[in-house]
Amino acid sequence: MSSKIIAVHSYKGGTGKTSLSVNIASTFAKLGKKVAIFDLDFRAPSLFAILKVENAEFWLNDYLNNTVDVNKILVDLSSRLTGNGKLYVGLANPSTEAIRDMSSKDRKWEMRALGRLLSLKESLIRDEGFDYLIFDTSPGLQYSSINAIVAADFVVVATTGDRSDVDGTKRMLKELYNLFEKKTGLVLNKVLDPSVTAKKAEIGVKVKATYQVPLLGIVPCFCDILRAEGNLIFVQDKPDHPFTRILSEMARKIENDEVN
Amino acid sequence: MERLNQKMEVMIEIQKNNGSDALKPGAMLPDASLDVMTLLSMPDHLRKTAMTICRSGRATAEDVAGQTTRARAVESAYLNQLVIMGYVKKERKGRKAYFFIERETEG
Repeated sequence: MSSKIIAVHSYKGGTGKTSLSVNIASTFAKLGKKVAIFDLDFRAPSLFAILKVENAEFWLNDYLNNTVDVNKILVDLSSRLTGNGKLYVGLANPSTEAIRDMSSKDRKWEMRALGRLLSLKESLIRDEGFDYLIFDTSPGLQYSSINAIVAADFVVVATTGDRSDVDGTKRMLKELYNLFEKKTGLVLNKVLDPSVTAKKAEIGVKVKATYQVPLLGIVPCFCDILRAEGNLIFVQDKPDHPFTRILSEMARKIENDEVN
Repeated sequence: MERLNQKMEVMIEIQKNNGSDALKPGAMLPDASLDVMTLLSMPDHLRKTAMTICRSGRATAEDVAGQTTRARAVESAYLNQLVIMGYVKKERKGRKAYFFIERETEG
């Protein structure tokens, strides 16, 4: 069975989680799927800016606080896509007050928040016919990120070549993901050597030996993405770009359950 | 004979994990939170059961056993340990015992 809820996570910040989340979600939507992406980075919300959503009335915070139904927080972005797919977003509230509020939640609240995330499988996937839910998380071992990982069927872990990121990611995979027995795929992101994509099989073996998880994809560092400064849904706006092809390959692997 | 063997296997499985779990005097917490940090700190055998009940919301020992592929009696023992520890609630309906996590009450 293919994974329906996908969390995108990393040990360190700046690994490209949000860019991967948005573009994986958009790739699925381009394939005709009904997709929702959720911003679970409550400490530094960014999807509202990247996706330029200015009309959000309710936030994911409200859903987790059990004050609104999930349908109230979803903003339909499908008109921005070509094809028959549907793309929705559930945003984190970027106000300072909301960020402060989310940082001071207790364990009981976090337990209930986990229950609310788990219930999305019924409310959105079973009842509303969504094909995929994508959770964009905050880096490291935050409560909200671990909740997202527990609720997910599959976790995409983004990592770079940075030494501290490699060590931290290794530790996180061993001490967190293994304990929850999560199906995981690793993305080597922002790789400086462009020739690495040609050595994918060889690197896949190295990744498995180093991290004990399969390689989902290798993304070279594209100047075009940096230049766009988060202003593009890349796979939508640049359909012939190598990044778009790499993301399509990742989506295909996830959909066909080929990450092993 | 086969039933006796099955029972022996269940008892061995439960005994094997008895020393490592948190079911010790003073470990009983009424209405304790089954949050992700608690899940992380649990011994592996209890975490598997707790994760399954987290995902199901409400289930019998047989339902949980169907997910974990362990024996129903083993899951029943682990679920009852989680009940005593205060993480899981138990409710009887007829002959069946349902286990669930009470999430929506304010505390």
